[in-house]
Amino acid sequence: MERAEDKNNDNLTLLGKIFHKLGMSIMCITIGQQIVLLFRALSSFFSESRSFKTDSKNIILQTFFTGVEIFPVLFVVATLFGAIVIVEVMTMTGKMGFSDVVGNLMVVVVIRELGPILTAFLIAGRSGSSLSTYVGGMVINSEVDALATMGVDPIRYLVMPGLIGGTIATFIMTIIFSASAIGAGFLVIKGLIAITGNALNLQLTWDYLSTEILSAMTMMDFVFIVIKPLVFGCIITTNACYQAMNIAHDIRQVPKATGKSVIKSFFYIVCADVVLSIFYFLDYFNEISKII
Amino acid sequence: MHNEALRIEDLHLSYSNLLGTVFSKPRALSFFLRNRDNDKELINGANLVLHRGETLCIGGPSGQGKSALLRVIAGLIRPNQGRLFYFGEYIPPERHSALEIAKRQVGLVFQNGALISNLRVRDNIALPLRYHKKGTPKEIDEKINMAMDLMRVRNEANMFPHQLSVGMQKRVAIARSWAMDPRLLLMDEPTAGLDNYNRRNLLPLIDNMRTLFKTSIIIITHDLMIAKELDCNISFLHNRTLTDPHSFNYWSSADNAISRELFRDLRVSG
Repeated sequence: MERAEDKNNDNLTLLGKIFHKLGMSIMCITIGQQIVLLFRALSSFFSESRSFKTDSKNIILQTFFTGVEIFPVLFVVATLFGAIVIVEVMTMTGKMGFSDVVGNLMVVVVIRELGPILTAFLIAGRSGSSLSTYVGGMVINSEVDALATMGVDPIRYLVMPGLIGGTIATFIMTIIFSASAIGAGFLVIKGLIAITGNALNLQLTWDYLSTEILSAMTMMDFVFIVIKPLVFGCIITTNACYQAMNIAHDIRQVPKATGKSVIKSFFYIVCADVVLSIFYFLDYFNEISKII
Repeated sequence: MHNEALRIEDLHLSYSNLLGTVFSKPRALSFFLRNRDNDKELINGANLVLHRGETLCIGGPSGQGKSALLRVIAGLIRPNQGRLFYFGEYIPPERHSALEIAKRQVGLVFQNGALISNLRVRDNIALPLRYHKKGTPKEIDEKINMAMDLMRVRNEANMFPHQLSVGMQKRVAIARSWAMDPRLLLMDEPTAGLDNYNRRNLLPLIDNMRTLFKTSIIIITHDLMIAKELDCNISFLHNRTLTDPHSFNYWSSADNAISRELFRDLRVSG
């Protein structure tokens, strides 16, 4: 049976056919669909039905939901993690005689790499999973269909606030993570030193730690403190909504989609981190070539 | 054609289409990459013409694809084949989506109501109005109150959907659709789950909408007495096609398979 769209394909020029094939092959893979969803959500922010009041209310609610509810766990994890890193770095560098790289190591481990990643993991586990359960439940109850038949774009109504709010929350939480890892971690170690009578023989003062860390920070670090959480936040929320909205009307798919959203978020976050790290490597190469 | 609300020509629908639109996937994808092999067909060549202000009941045994047909008309399912005209305007298959059709003021009342479960009744009704910015906040409030009064859910305005009974949820869903001033209203089993009292209240409301607002209505129902009380035509999904619309009296007195099957009880009772 000849269908209308077959005829449409025949009408395309050679260039058109190439672009059609390219576009279709990108849209067939999962990542392509997720990127499309991300841009649809972003562009829906500017659609006709925008209203500053409701949009900002939804986004602030989502930010609050993502950020505040994760805060206690994040704070404890960051503090303990920061304390461990400070102890390890101080003792190891002291033993090996590289005391002058304490600041560099702290910046690389806490601020540059593990801070954003651990924050993203915590948010993916807490907010990503709850977002996909929430949207998945709405899909099952055909609430998403109902939204569409009322002319309310589900992507705008459900995905957009989650995306923007989640990304803002990831950004704020990453800064809080790094700050509490260094600040509260320092206090924990001071407490340990007071209790154990300095059994580790650490010569740690806030002056020393803060000066070392601040002198080790480069411009690139400040840029990536902003970029990394934004990328991770987009990945978490887009992935969560994508997995949830792909559910057919079957209740057993909801836990599956939730698990998938968390695991895939972890995977994408690490992949994105590797890609972003390439910029650091380029920075290193520049510095090395300067020295040579 | 200018006085037509809906025209369906040669509609084909198969089981593989029933999954419906997935909103996370690009629309072009489902359009270009469709399942081409002809699997089991649910609807095979249905035709329907609905005039403005006309009410039509679609009946038939369950499992015949009545709800699927309604979802096709609302744009949630894209048919294999067939041409659909809304108010005389042809919607090509690449634009056949729920959002596009909702722009033409087509409303759908789901079988289970499908209220947004984390919003109160008032906000549920207000959601589409506020989203589409239909008037000032005061006008929207008035509209909501009117809709709630019509469906007698004013006392439950600040309740969540899970606190309401099924029948009440359905009334709220109808109020939500009504508040949008639809030109074509699709109702999936509006009276199932309603008690006799509310059923009797609902029918005059449908009648009012038909006469006052010139709303065209399609009702999917098992309750064939609705057609008699509303004095409208009935079509049946039979043998995978839609029969011609005829009045209740025609069907109850006709001598064919559908009448014998579905009107047996009604005939005995009179």
